[in-house]
Amino acid sequence: MQRDELPTADDAFSADLLRGHTDTIVLATLRRGDRYGFEIYKTIRDATGGAHEIKEATLYATYRRLTKDGLVEAYWGDESQGGRRKYYRITDAGRAVYRRNVAAWVATRDVVDALLSTDKDTPR
Amino acid sequence: MTTVHRLLDDAFAGVEPSPEVQDLKEEIRANLEARAAELESAGATPDAAARRAFDELGDVRAIVADAQADVAEETGGAPRTALQAALAAAEQHRVRPTPRFVLGVVLASLVLAAAVAVAALAPAGVLALPGIAVAALLLTASSAAGFVVGLSLSRETTTNHPMPQGRAGGYYLASGLGAFGLLLALFTALGTFGAWVYVVAGGAVVVGGVLFTMLGVTQTNRKKAWVRDVARAQAAEGHFDRFDRDPAAAARFGVYTLVIWLSAFVVFVVLGLTVGWAWSWLTFVVALAVMMLVLARMLFTSPGEGARDQR
Repeated sequence: MQRDELPTADDAFSADLLRGHTDTIVLATLRRGDRYGFEIYKTIRDATGGAHEIKEATLYATYRRLTKDGLVEAYWGDESQGGRRKYYRITDAGRAVYRRNVAAWVATRDVVDALLSTDKDTPR
Repeated sequence: MTTVHRLLDDAFAGVEPSPEVQDLKEEIRANLEARAAELESAGATPDAAARRAFDELGDVRAIVADAQADVAEETGGAPRTALQAALAAAEQHRVRPTPRFVLGVVLASLVLAAAVAVAALAPAGVLALPGIAVAALLLTASSAAGFVVGLSLSRETTTNHPMPQGRAGGYYLASGLGAFGLLLALFTALGTFGAWVYVVAGGAVVVGGVLFTMLGVTQTNRKKAWVRDVARAQAAEGHFDRFDRDPAAAARFGVYTLVIWLSAFVVFVVLGLTVGWAWSWLTFVVALAVMMLVLARMLFTSPGEGARDQR
């Protein structure tokens, strides 16, 4: 196994960290309205500047898990042309889990910030 | 666009078609089309766009295998019985009512009871209250009733996630309006208001009903994941609720309900003519309580009784 290259300055980004929050990120994209897979994917891609993205395979597994847990509900749209789109809608349960996860993230982020002292003297 | 379909069909060739696989294929198809359209609008040829969209997807077989594994896991045997699993899960996820919630419900109930009781003194002839004062008391009572509904919905329980504030507010409004309409109609029947108030009462009930319907049809899932797990396990074992399992019990309950309400109506009329209309409506409260007790007894049987039923 070869170790990954060290990230360069403009590539200072942890894809693993992002991936660990896939469920919450998907819930976040659904908060403002129902979306289908590509819209969710696009929202995430655009938010990360297009350079980093969550793999589509990961997203399909996420949709399935969220649906199974009742955090989102899936339904088919009625597009007149082209294939039908499968839309996802966040449920009340999903909103509650989203809020909890965001609170947990904020608390964790504050602790990590404090431990790494990023706001005082970021080592260069 | 035909290229997307061909690429997808090739990728799914040889995969055992199941509802889940078919579902997934359709979902992927629409997403690929959208991505290809995006690439095309950026200047790619249709063929190149379809090819690139498909390549970005990665290993389709892996996605399908993943979905199939999930399905297999779900249908796999559960070692614990559904009841044991349910009890364990309920214990793990138990949420106790907060003191704030209990206090809120108790206070609202007190307000409700006090307002209705004081208002009832007017038709009983004990207290000479102006009509507007009685209406204000009834409005207070129905607002308290709606408050209990809204507060109960917006709190987290062992089985349910809390409902968002706005939505719970809608239920507050709907049940408050409905209760106000019914109380107005009742007091009009008792002679406190002129007959025209029936129109106001009817309007309130209708608006409340429409609001209820709107909220009902747009309601999404509030159940926690473990409740769904238990329900799924029970469905797998064939443990639906008793009325699903035993249609005779359901029919019996229907007959009981009819008898309860018919008796309640007769008692209501008799009491109204003898004791007075001010208190005879309590019959319906008693009838509702009796019906709920019967329902509780009939719907949830102990494991022993359940076993007897199944024989």
